[in-house]
Formats: sequence, C-alpha cells, structure tokens
Amino acid sequence: MVGITRTGTYFPRRRLDRALIAKAWGGRVPAGTRTVAGFDEDALTMATDAVLACLGDVDAAAFDALYFASTSSPYLEKQVASVIATAADLRRDVAVADFAGSVRAGLAALRAALDGVRAGSLGSALVAAADARLAEPDSELEPLLGDGAAAVAVGGEGVVAELVSTASVAEEFTYVWRTDEQRTLHLSETRFGTAYGYARDVAEAIGAALRRAELPPARVARLVLGAPEPRAAAEAAKRAGFDPARVEASLLAEAGLLGTPEPLALLARSLETAAPGDFLVVAAYGEGADALVLRATDRLPAARPRPLAERLARGLALPSYERYLRARGVLPAEPMGEPVTAMLEWKELKQDVRLYGSRCQACGLVQFPQARVCLGCQARDRMQDHKLARRGTVFTFTIDNLAPVPEHPMPMAVIDLEGGGRLYLQVTDAAEGEVKVGAPVELTFRRLHEAAGNRNYFWKARPA
Amino acid sequence: MIRDQVAVIGVGCTKFGDRYERSFEELICDAAFDAYADAGIEPAEIEAAYLGTYLPGPGGGKAAVSLADALRLYDRPITRVENYCATGTDAFRNGCLAVAAGAHDVVLVLGAEKLKDRGGRGIPRLGHPLLARGNTAPGLFALAANRYMHTFGLGRETLAKVAVKNHKNGALNDKAHLRMEVTEEQVLKAPMIAWPFGLLDCCPTTDGAAAAIICRADLARRFKKPPVLVKSAALAVTTGRPFFDPTFDYLGFRSTQAAARQAYAMAGITAEDVDFAEVHDCFTWTEISNIEDLGFCKKGEGGRLVEEGRTALDGDIPVNPSGGLKSFGHPIGASGVRMIYECVTQLRGEAGARQVKDPELGLAHNVGGPGAVSCVVVLGRS
Repeated sequence: MVGITRTGTYFPRRRLDRALIAKAWGGRVPAGTRTVAGFDEDALTMATDAVLACLGDVDAAAFDALYFASTSSPYLEKQVASVIATAADLRRDVAVADFAGSVRAGLAALRAALDGVRAGSLGSALVAAADARLAEPDSELEPLLGDGAAAVAVGGEGVVAELVSTASVAEEFTYVWRTDEQRTLHLSETRFGTAYGYARDVAEAIGAALRRAELPPARVARLVLGAPEPRAAAEAAKRAGFDPARVEASLLAEAGLLGTPEPLALLARSLETAAPGDFLVVAAYGEGADALVLRATDRLPAARPRPLAERLARGLALPSYERYLRARGVLPAEPMGEPVTAMLEWKELKQDVRLYGSRCQACGLVQFPQARVCLGCQARDRMQDHKLARRGTVFTFTIDNLAPVPEHPMPMAVIDLEGGGRLYLQVTDAAEGEVKVGAPVELTFRRLHEAAGNRNYFWKARPA
Repeated sequence: MIRDQVAVIGVGCTKFGDRYERSFEELICDAAFDAYADAGIEPAEIEAAYLGTYLPGPGGGKAAVSLADALRLYDRPITRVENYCATGTDAFRNGCLAVAAGAHDVVLVLGAEKLKDRGGRGIPRLGHPLLARGNTAPGLFALAANRYMHTFGLGRETLAKVAVKNHKNGALNDKAHLRMEVTEEQVLKAPMIAWPFGLLDCCPTTDGAAAAIICRADLARRFKKPPVLVKSAALAVTTGRPFFDPTFDYLGFRSTQAAARQAYAMAGITAEDVDFAEVHDCFTWTEISNIEDLGFCKKGEGGRLVEEGRTALDGDIPVNPSGGLKSFGHPIGASGVRMIYECVTQLRGEAGARQVKDPELGLAHNVGGPGAVSCVVVLGRS
C-alpha cells in the first residue's frame, strides 16, 4: 500500500483583519482575517515549520526524499529543499527537488513523491509546500491571499490515506502569473479565468482520475480543491458532477487563499474527520490541473493529524495595515547585519542549522555552541555531538527596543532546552506578557537578517 | 607583587560628554597634559605608555600609534589594551605590572574613547552573525537583571534609586556628562530601552579621555602631589558567552567576585576596609549586583544598601561619588582610567563638593562582557 502517512500544517501567527485593508483603500473585502508571514518568515521557513510539525516525534533520518513546492520561494536559484532538509536534520543522502511554476506545484510534488514510493525508488518521502504570495496594494487579490504551509509524509507503511489513482491536464491558458521581474501576483479577468480555465481543467483532471479509479462522483466523500478565487472551487465541483456541499471548505475566513500549500492543508483537514474507506479527491490548478484519488485507511482514526483549527488558534492581530506592509517587505526595513560567509556556514552547519550542541563524555554537560574543551570540567576533546531539543523554558529574558531588527520591541531569551543545553535567541511571534521567566517556548527556523545580498536563516524561539 | 610598589603621581581627565568638537587624538592630548601638569613632569620623562581603547574609529584607536601621534611620544614602548569595558582598568593594571617589574620608572596610562562620532544609537555589537544576534548592551545586562529581580523580588523602583543617587553625585561634578539630577518618577517613566531598563537606567554613550601617571613608589615623593599608592590591581576573565552557560545563575558576575578576591588578597584587606568605590554602573542594576559581588554586602542585599542610603555620598560605603558611568558617562576605554582619576582625587581630598569624608582606601571596578571580564583596582592614601 502506498499513500500518505502523516500531515502537518503551519500558519503564521500574525493576522490582518481585512477591515484594516478596507480602511486603507476603501472598497469591499470578505469578512475575516488573513494570515501574514512575519518579517522573519518566508516560504522556506514556513515549509520548515510544517515539516517539523509533520514529523512530530518521528525520526527524521527515516526519510529518503524531501520535495519543496512554492511559487514564492525566497530563492530563484538555490535548492531550498536542501536547506529545509538540513534544518529538519534529514540524512545527507536524501533526494531533493524544488517544485514551482504554479500553485499546483504542491500537488505535483506530492504526486512525484507517491510515484517514487510506488516505483520503489523511495521508501518514504516528505513533501513541503509553502507560500507567502504578495499582491499589489489596493488590488482585488490583496485581501484574499493568506500565508501558510503544509507538509505531507508519504510511504508504504503506516498509510492513513492510500493512493488510488491520478490524472493530469496541461495546456496554456492565461489566468494567474508573475514574471521574473514582478514582485506581485497578476490575475486576468476572474470570471473568464475561473470558467474557461480553472473549472474546465480541474473538472477534466478529476473526471480522468475517477475513471481510472472506476468511481462515480457520488462515491467520493470529500473534494479537496485549491482555488484562485473564492467562488472557483464550487464552480469546478459542479462541473465535475459533484454536489458543492462536498467540497472541503476553504480557509478564506481565517487564513486566505494559500496558493501552493492549499490543497495539502485542506487535505490534512479532511483527514481529521474522514472515515476509513472514504474516498477523497484532491486537485489543484495551474495551466492545467492535477487530481489524486485517495482512500482513507483503517489506520486513520488512530493517527489523525492535529486539527488545523488548533494550528490557526492564538493569532496575533496586527494593529494596522502598515504593519502588514512592513512585515511583508512592501515598506522596506533598513538592511541589518553582517553576512554569514560561505566558510562560516560550512564550518558551523551542524551546529547552527542542524542544531547540535556538544555533550561531554567526561561530565555529561550538554553545551552550546560546540567546543573542544568542556565548560563544566575542562576535559579536552571528550565531546560528542548532541542533537538539541527544539523545546525549552525561558530562564531569563529581555524585551529590547534597541536591537537591529525591523520590529520593536524584540524579546530575547535565555532558554534551557529539554534534555540539556542553553540557548540565547530572539523570540518571535510573542504577544505582550508571553515572554517571562519559566515560560515554555519552542524553536522555529527563521530568516534572521539579510546581508551582502543574501539571507541568513537561524533558529528563533516562540511561545509554545 | 604590585602592593605599595607603584604610586600614582598625576591624573588628568577631560570633560566627558558629546565632544564633537574634539577628535580622538585631541581628547588624548587634553587628558595627558592635564596629568603631566598634575604630576609636574615633562612629557620626556614618560618611559612607556599604555593606551586603553575599545572601539577604534576612523579617528584612531586601532593601535598604540594614536597615543604616540597625539602626544608625539615616539621611540618608546606603547601598548594598546582592549578588554571590553575593563579596558581602562586593565590598561592601568598592565602599566602597574611594568613598573612593579622594574621595567620602567614612569609610565603613562591613558584611556580614551570617541563614541559619539560613530553615529547611531548605543554601541555597535560585534560578534557572530547568527549566535546571540540581536543582543545589545542593555539587553545583555537586562537578562541578568530580570533573572535577579525575579529571584530576589526586586522592583524597578529600587533600580531607579541608583540613578537618582548617581545623578545627584554627578551634578556636583563639572566634568560629568549628564549633570542633571533626576527623580525616581522620571527614571521610572523614561522610554523603555530593554526591559527592565528605561533610558535613565542606562549610562550614556560618551566621548572622553582620562590619564594616570604612575611611577616606582620609592621615587614618588619627587613629584608635585602627595602620591597615592596602588594596593592591588586584579583581573579575572570568565566566559564571554554567559548566555550559553547552563550552569550560570545570572545573579551576579563570577569575574567580579574572582577579581575582588584577588584584589583584596593582594592588598591584604577585606571589603570592609574599602572606604568608597567607583563601580561599573553601566545600568542601574549592575551597580546593585556589583556591590554584592565586591563583598560590600551579601548576594541579594544590594538593593537594600541602596534603599537605606548607605551607598550615598554620606553613607558608610559611598558608591560612585563621581556620578558613575550613569552620570559621568561611559567612554568605554576611558572609564576605568577615569575611575582611577576619581579615586586619586578623593584620596587626595581634592573632590570638592562630592568629597567623601577622609577616605584611606578607594576601589575602582569595571565589568564587561557582560560578566566576561572584570578588573578591580585598590588605591590607598598611605
């Protein structure tokens, strides 16, 4: 049996009430809030968070591949999947690929991973999709988009949703695009694009996948669709012969249209309630479409994902539209820092990105950063690499208004990690009063600063 | 052994403050000639010099040459010392060692720093581009302050009393940077810098220079002023990454405790023998913790010492009669030498309105890093 074994989702804690967008520009906006990636977040960091959420306590070394999908990757040339694999401490011999080009890249990556397992070239694989797409201020899209990530683990054992069939469609159509010179997303006329492009292609791919599975639409419990605008999913469902009531509800009200991770995040949510034996159809659009038919297995009830609603809880409301512009880099912040040279990164990769400290074999003290002479007993070269936990408690802290970061005040904390080791980190995504002595925190991989034309990623803490 | 082998025969200090009109080398010049005049010596009598400066800027400071060029003091040994905020006292310690070792009879120690020309707020943080990134000087000391306040139940009000006291002393000192008195309410309501430190809990960034001329104790009577004897000069270095040390309790600084132990042993005294102290009050909390680490009271009791007025000018252990870093200002490399200047001035009875009553022994203390390096110097009238 080949299929999905685990899922994980990640949503930035920052939320923008759409009423603040309407207040800035006038016009009508949908009710609710959208998720907003912080100034220290991007598709790379959110995908890492989703992968870590997906992994939970599972051994990262068990995976043979990591595929990353995004249309808003922080790099046009650089293997982001390798960065995520390193931060998640996957093995060095994993297969990686970055999928891009349209929001169906997430599903395309999932399909490729499933194909790899089915073909026997991969035992198990991780797929991570994330987007923080930028819309032109005062555009139709601006209030609709939301930022987030989803990750899916696939394999041949412990499958909770088995792959049944797949189908694809590909043909040029002009609907959503962003050229290599544009920062913001462009959209042609919505009604035409949805009817003549999106709904047509998605319905066609779903139809073909169902025929391969020899399933009528009526046998399908849930239809999981990524969509370019709020009405598109229902239109595609109807066209594919489905009752629109069976479409997994979008995340528009609480998060927005997510892009690449959307079908994976909605699939994760449908697995919260699907019954064993239920058929699920997942489809995504991008100048054509991909559709996958899955069947929930008997293992699902015992291995349901953490509810998406929980992942979305504890949002932090941005106080103003301007704060959103600052968070997304539309209002530029000052450049802030010295570069991490390629040499320093290479020397310290295991320590800084894989997050290993040292454990003294003489006295047992776990310490960070890695050193040759023990802090506790001064034994020389008795150190063993020690993978640090990503959870801990605040030993002490400050809330700094002077630090070279774009948002103030910025908490920093000295953190005692579970299992030993003490770190001193910036704290992100904290509400007032959350950072205090004894507070539980977890680590998140973030964009620390930019320098010399590059981005430096490192760990931060956030309230747990 | 330094004790009673070395004497301070002259001191000098510039006006501390926003000295935009004075270059780094001009500040050095002012402080050095002030000290020459105080000692009544000619520049040519200086056999060697130690320059303490922490942040080299475009105006100089990178090597000993900025002292040589400022004073045209050529063809003799000059060493630049840099050791975080203990830079000035450590330069003084090195000068004393050279004299005590018999290498030189008359040595100039000079601390200088030009912080204001750097532009920007605070001082730049140097170091690893990822590890501990985002830290600031107030933020680093605030880590300790918050843990300390959490442990001992201290409030910001107690911290504020340190600022009130030191500003009161500094207002009496015409060389101090911030010569205004402040109220507890002003301190508590000042803009927040790094919790729990508001603006008035922080020392300013300052330009300034200070100088001390030292010589073999047996030659000291030849010079103009009554000499002040160096009783001890001790340095202790611990980790510069206290925030990664899982055994660190954040309730005080080990380096100060170690330097104080050394200094008292070397001087043959105990903390009770010290009549007044210039301690490193870069932030209000630092003074409270320092006076504990220096042994003036037990750990956790520093706040009470301040609240009871015992560290005031007329208290039983006056702390920072000069106004401290808080009011006098903190040009990093200059501060330690400036403390020597204050101790000598007090021990000679020349401190005017801020004079401590009849002191026999004065102590100067710097801590930097925070907590990584600490230097303690004890000076005596006889």
